[in-house]
Amino acid sequence: MKESPYWNPRHETMPRDQIEVLQVRKLKNLVAWTERQVPWHAARLKAAGVTAESIRSLKDLRRIPLMTRDEWMQAQLEKPPFGPLLAAPEDVAIRYHLTSGTTGRIPLQVLDSMKDWEWIAEMWCYGFWGFGVRPADIVFFAFSYGTFVGFWGAHYACEKIGCLVLPGGNMTTEARVKQILSMKATVVCSTPTYALRMAQEAKTMGVDLATSPVKRLILSGEPAGSIPATKRLIEEEWGAKAADTAGMTEVGTIMIFECETQPGGTHIIEDHYIEEVVDPATGEPVGYGELGERLITSFGRGMIPVLRYRTRDLVVRVPANTCRCGRTFDLYEGGIRGRVDDMKLVRGTNVYPRAVESIVREFKEIDEFRIHLYTADGRQDEIEVLVEIPGSEDANADRILAELGKSLSQAHEGLRFGVKKVENGSLPRFELKAKRLQDDRIVIGTAGERRATA
Amino acid sequence: MKNLMGAELSESERSLVECYQGLVRVLNDGKDLAPFERRNALKAVAALWQVVNGLDLDPGNIYEIGA
Repeated sequence: MKESPYWNPRHETMPRDQIEVLQVRKLKNLVAWTERQVPWHAARLKAAGVTAESIRSLKDLRRIPLMTRDEWMQAQLEKPPFGPLLAAPEDVAIRYHLTSGTTGRIPLQVLDSMKDWEWIAEMWCYGFWGFGVRPADIVFFAFSYGTFVGFWGAHYACEKIGCLVLPGGNMTTEARVKQILSMKATVVCSTPTYALRMAQEAKTMGVDLATSPVKRLILSGEPAGSIPATKRLIEEEWGAKAADTAGMTEVGTIMIFECETQPGGTHIIEDHYIEEVVDPATGEPVGYGELGERLITSFGRGMIPVLRYRTRDLVVRVPANTCRCGRTFDLYEGGIRGRVDDMKLVRGTNVYPRAVESIVREFKEIDEFRIHLYTADGRQDEIEVLVEIPGSEDANADRILAELGKSLSQAHEGLRFGVKKVENGSLPRFELKAKRLQDDRIVIGTAGERRATA
Repeated sequence: MKNLMGAELSESERSLVECYQGLVRVLNDGKDLAPFERRNALKAVAALWQVVNGLDLDPGNIYEIGA
């Protein structure tokens, strides 16, 4: 029998109308389970007049109240450590994890049972298998294996697939590169930023990664995995194909993955989630091709039901037939485009860190960068991009700085960007989610509010 | 055996479903299981749950048996 390119061929190629039937059935089950097991949710559903019996089509989904991270945090603060959100006793849990802490006052704390943990790996299997990872592969994880869930599920997915797994926790970058080479890894998993960091390190070690056995990179943790210029750079440096994935601790695993066709977007795992895209300001649905905020309803982790959770992620949904891989799962073109809260207003112009990165990455000579916002003369917003350009003559560096400044300005309605070269190695490097934006403004938005701490 | 989408399951798929059902039954009823029997059966049932779920048979949650 010919090997399937799909992890679950029945679901991944299911006609769209059948996917909807499946989702409605699972939604009814989820609402019934949640009503019965989680009084906190049950009260909210009751107030909205939602019962399992009243779910007849996906239109009924919109009657379910939205759930926010603030509500989740508040519930955990009021009833620590997990809040009144668990649908099963704590003693069936086998795993404890935290959100990475990039948003919110406190990290969210979550538990998983044996079945849920297996499901978490199952979701990653859609992505790994879909990108061509097979039992013969040797997979290296450049991941610190802590309480942040990160690549944990991916590790178990690769064991499930039958790969040889190399857990690269607690290692220097140099040691990781050495192990990737000595163990002849064929797949490497990391954040996009760290994939570039390893490539830099390999260069200083005199190693050309493009000649290594690595054929695939699985990227996660940052939107950069779908920024074309960043992805192109990673693929060139490694001589390998790179796939974007995205997940969140709130559901424990990934919900989107890029298939081997690399259509410039990520498929939504629609047999396990319902993803909606709405206008972040009004909550009204937006159509295919329009930028909006994704909401997630997960059928997976029964221990912590997630219904219409506001992710703050910005996405553009496009139909399944945008990709020619044969899957009937819709896609997010360009993966996660950024966060609703990422946008910075600088002298009246919207600046998205992702857009800045996509321009910076067009300049291969730039090793690392930082976006710095500050207040000049106690009143005016300024933005500068600090860059490291190793091994470049002054004249060449000056040319790069001038071209970069011009490109950034052209892409931002003529906004003036300061562009400065800084000492090599002076900017921070990241293993997990990169934080390249530093906002030191005492006045936000020129005529806007003054920071309380200023 | 048909799934909840009305699709007929293959013989191999039916066998996997029966394995899962048998394991759940044993874990519910088998009070005399040794630790190595119960815990390994739980790991197996957690994995087979993914199969039954993927075959559209709505296995529900199985926390009451410890998985």
